Amino acid sequence: MASSNEIPAAAIQVRDGAWSRSDSGKVKSQRGGWGFLILPAMVALLVVFWIPTFQLATNSFHRNAGLAQVGDAWTLENYVKFLSDPFYYGILLETFGLGFVVVCICIVIAYPTAYFLARTKTRWRGLLVFLVISPLLISVVIRNLGWLPILGSSGLVNWLLMSAGLLSSPVQLINNYTGVVIGLVHALAPFMIISLMTVIQRIEPELEEASINLGASPFETFWRVVFPMSRPGLLAGVLLVFTVVLSAFTTPAMMGGNRVLVMSTYISQQIRTALNYPFGAMAAVVLMLVTGGLTVVALRYQGEESK
Amino acid sequence: MTCFSRVLMRSFVGLVFIFLIAPLVTVVSTSFSDSAVLAFPPSGFTLKWYRSISPEFWAALRVSLIVSTSTTAIAVVAGTAASLALVRGRFPGRVILSAYCMSPLMVPSLVIGVAAFQFASRIWDWTGYSLMGSMLGLVLGQSAFTIPFVIRSAIAGQAHLDRTVEEAAMNLGASPAQTFFRVTLPMLLPGVISGAVFAFVMSFDDVPIALFLGGGDATTFPVKIYTSVEFNFDADLMAVSTIVVACSLVVMTIVERLIGIDKLLGGARG
Repeated sequence: MASSNEIPAAAIQVRDGAWSRSDSGKVKSQRGGWGFLILPAMVALLVVFWIPTFQLATNSFHRNAGLAQVGDAWTLENYVKFLSDPFYYGILLETFGLGFVVVCICIVIAYPTAYFLARTKTRWRGLLVFLVISPLLISVVIRNLGWLPILGSSGLVNWLLMSAGLLSSPVQLINNYTGVVIGLVHALAPFMIISLMTVIQRIEPELEEASINLGASPFETFWRVVFPMSRPGLLAGVLLVFTVVLSAFTTPAMMGGNRVLVMSTYISQQIRTALNYPFGAMAAVVLMLVTGGLTVVALRYQGEESK
Repeated sequence: MTCFSRVLMRSFVGLVFIFLIAPLVTVVSTSFSDSAVLAFPPSGFTLKWYRSISPEFWAALRVSLIVSTSTTAIAVVAGTAASLALVRGRFPGRVILSAYCMSPLMVPSLVIGVAAFQFASRIWDWTGYSLMGSMLGLVLGQSAFTIPFVIRSAIAGQAHLDRTVEEAAMNLGASPAQTFFRVTLPMLLPGVISGAVFAFVMSFDDVPIALFLGGGDATTFPVKIYTSVEFNFDADLMAVSTIVVACSLVVMTIVERLIGIDKLLGGARG
C-alpha cells in the first residue's frame, strides 16, 4: 500500500529537479520550508502509536504478576509457552485455517461475479457495481446485526429450509465457526470482486472468442485464457483478504458469539476477561508480526507487478 | 458460451447479489416489522420501534459523532501537513520517516487498541490520570490509524498536481502565504477530502479501539450495538441502525458524485 505511493512521489521529485535548476531563488527559498510540516504528525504518532506499541512489546517480555499486573523481571517465557504448547499455537493455525477457508469461498463467489460485471453491456452496470461495494459503506456492526434475523435458529434460512421440509429441526448457523465464515466472506468478497473485475476488464474479449472459435469449451477458455491473465488481480485479492481475516476482530467476535477462538478474539479475552496483560501483549505482538510480514510480501508483490 | 451455462452463471451471480445485500435488507425490513425481531416471516408493518428508540442509542450516536469529527479534524491537519513534507521536503531520512508514518496501517486495529489500553493503564499508574472511558482517549487512540490514512490519500492526491501553477502565482507577485492558501491548498483539496471521508468512516466504524478505551460516557455507537447484541435486544436497535444506514447512503452518494466511491476501497476491515 505504502509503496504504491512512492512512485508518484518519486515522479514529482524528478520534475522538481528540472524545475529548481531553471527557477528563481524565491521559489527555492519557499521549498526549504516544507520539511518542518512533518512535525505535528511525527509527534502525534510517537505518542499515540510508537510509544504504546513499544510498551506493548516490552510488556510481552514480562511475567504476569497477578490480575492486570505486569511483573518486573524480564523473560521469554510467554513466547516459549506460546510456541511450544499445541493449544496456543493451535489458535494461530486455526486463524490461518479460517483465512484459507474465507479466501477459497471468496474466489468461488468472486470469479463469476467479476466476469459478469466486466463483460456485461447492461445500462444497470453502474448500479450493480454500487451494490457490490455497498456492504463496505455500511458499518461492520450493522452488517453483522443484519445477519441475526437471517441465520438465527428462528431466522429466514431455517424457516425456508423447514417450510420446504428439508429440515426437521433448525441448524446452528450463527454464534459458531459457520457464522464467522459467512460474516467474513460477506465483508471481503467485494474486495475480491472489484480486484478481479479490474483485471478481467483489461483482457480483450476477442481472445476468448478466438479460443472458442478454435474449439475450446467455455471451461477450457476460462482455465487457459481468462484465469492465467487475471492472476495479478487474483493474487492481490487473495493477499488482501487473507491479511484482513487474520486481523479481523469485530466480525469473529460478533458472529462467533464469543465461542470461536482465533488470534484476535483470544487476545481480547486475555486482556478483557483473563486480565493477563503480558500474555495478551505477547499474542498481540505475534499477530502484529504475522500480519506485518504478510503486508510486506503483498507490497513487494505489487511493486513487482507494476514494474 | 452456450445458453445453458449462461443461464447457470447469471443465476449464480444473482444469488451473489442477494447474499451481498441480504443483511442490509433485513436490518431495514425488521425495523418496520411488528413481530419479534429474530422470527420469520415478519408480520405487519409498524413504526413503533422508531418511536421507542432508547435514549442510550442517541447518546452513543452523539459520542460517535463528536469523536469521529475530532479525530478527522486532527488527522486532516496533521496528515495534510505531513504529506506536503514527505512529497516536497528535502531532508535526510525521508524514506525512513515515510515508513514511520505509514507503519500503523500495517498493524491490526485490535493490536493498536490493546497497546493504547495498556499504555493508558500505565499512564494511570504514573499520574493517576485516566484516559479510559473518556472521549479524549478515543480520539487519541483512533488517531493512530486515521493520521496515516490521510497522509496516504493526500500523497496520492499530489501525484498529478501541477506545480508550475504555483510558480505562475509567484511570478505574478503572490506572496508564499498567498500562493499556499489560494493555489496549493485548493489543488490539494480532492485528496484531502477523500482522506477525510475515509478517516471519518474508519473512526465511526471502529470497534476494537473504542471497546478497549471506551465505555461509560464514552460508549460509541458501534460499541453500543456490539454489546447489545451479546444480550437480548429490541427492534429499536434495527430502527436506529436503519437511520444510520440511510444517513451513510446519503453521504456516500454525495461522495460518489464529488470524488468517486472507488477511492474509498483501500480500507478493508472485518
